[in-house]
Amino acid sequence: MVKRSKKAKTMRKLIKAIWIFNWFNSCGFCELVPLVGSRWDMERFGMIIVGTPRQADVLFIAGYQTLKSIKRAKKVYEQMAEPRVVIALGSCTMTGGMYWDSYNTIKRLDNYLPVTIYIPGCPPRPEAVFEACDKIFKHVKELE
Amino acid sequence: MNSKEEREAQILEEIGSKFDVEGKIQREHRIWISIDNKDLIKLCGWLKNQRFEHLSAISVTDWVKEGKFEVTYHLWSYKDKILLTLKTEIDRKKPVIESVTSIWEENAQIHERELHELFGVKFKGNPDLSPLFLEDWHAPPPFRKDFDWRKYVREEYYDKENEREVAYYD
Repeated sequence: MVKRSKKAKTMRKLIKAIWIFNWFNSCGFCELVPLVGSRWDMERFGMIIVGTPRQADVLFIAGYQTLKSIKRAKKVYEQMAEPRVVIALGSCTMTGGMYWDSYNTIKRLDNYLPVTIYIPGCPPRPEAVFEACDKIFKHVKELE
Repeated sequence: MNSKEEREAQILEEIGSKFDVEGKIQREHRIWISIDNKDLIKLCGWLKNQRFEHLSAISVTDWVKEGKFEVTYHLWSYKDKILLTLKTEIDRKKPVIESVTSIWEENAQIHERELHELFGVKFKGNPDLSPLFLEDWHAPPPFRKDFDWRKYVREEYYDKENEREVAYYD
């Protein structure tokens, strides 16, 4: 039998479903809409969108982030309880994307927030988002 | 002249008889007039009481070579369904203009606040010109034509030594 740390044991008990808080700018939510709809239906995996960052496990961050909005994103992140995961969704979030020469868009998200998983694409495929979420479960299960 | 444009001609004549304006009928439902910035407030107050009660937008055009900022007010009349484009010019080196918040109040306030941020035009009499989108902005106003935003972005955000970002320097 594998000997696990106390933290890992607690985590394995806790992790059944991930609750999401969305921080979306501009076209951001369009990227997650297929998952919410009936075709891919993320709720069958227990993924629901919660009202406040305090209840959330995962912060989905999508759309280009401006210098103003990234400050608010930081505040949202600070309110989340540990363990917390940040998933960057789409190319604009990660590198500025098509706004690469905009004076007001941030260019490297990891300068501002500790990003756990990047999902590239414009928009990312729903399958890719599910795979990323699956990796969170795996990550927790691998905790020793 | 098209008979449909009679109303426009009548309004233009009425404005012309009271104020020193240059104007023309752009097309049906559209009038363009330009005025010296000294008479702007007087004209705007008069226009609002007449029929142009709605301020659709304010915009600024930067004419670098002429050394001018052109401030444009788009006024809409619900009664006559006419869009009046009111233009005035201010000096680019001293971009100060009277605020129209005394006339259109909050509606004008937010437009002027944005233009102050993007062009650095100061609207005298506007109670709040604090930055709207550009918090912690230290560079010159970004919408001015002489602001090289691409150069600014390279200096501010990118690193030439980074092999992933060197492509932005071509």
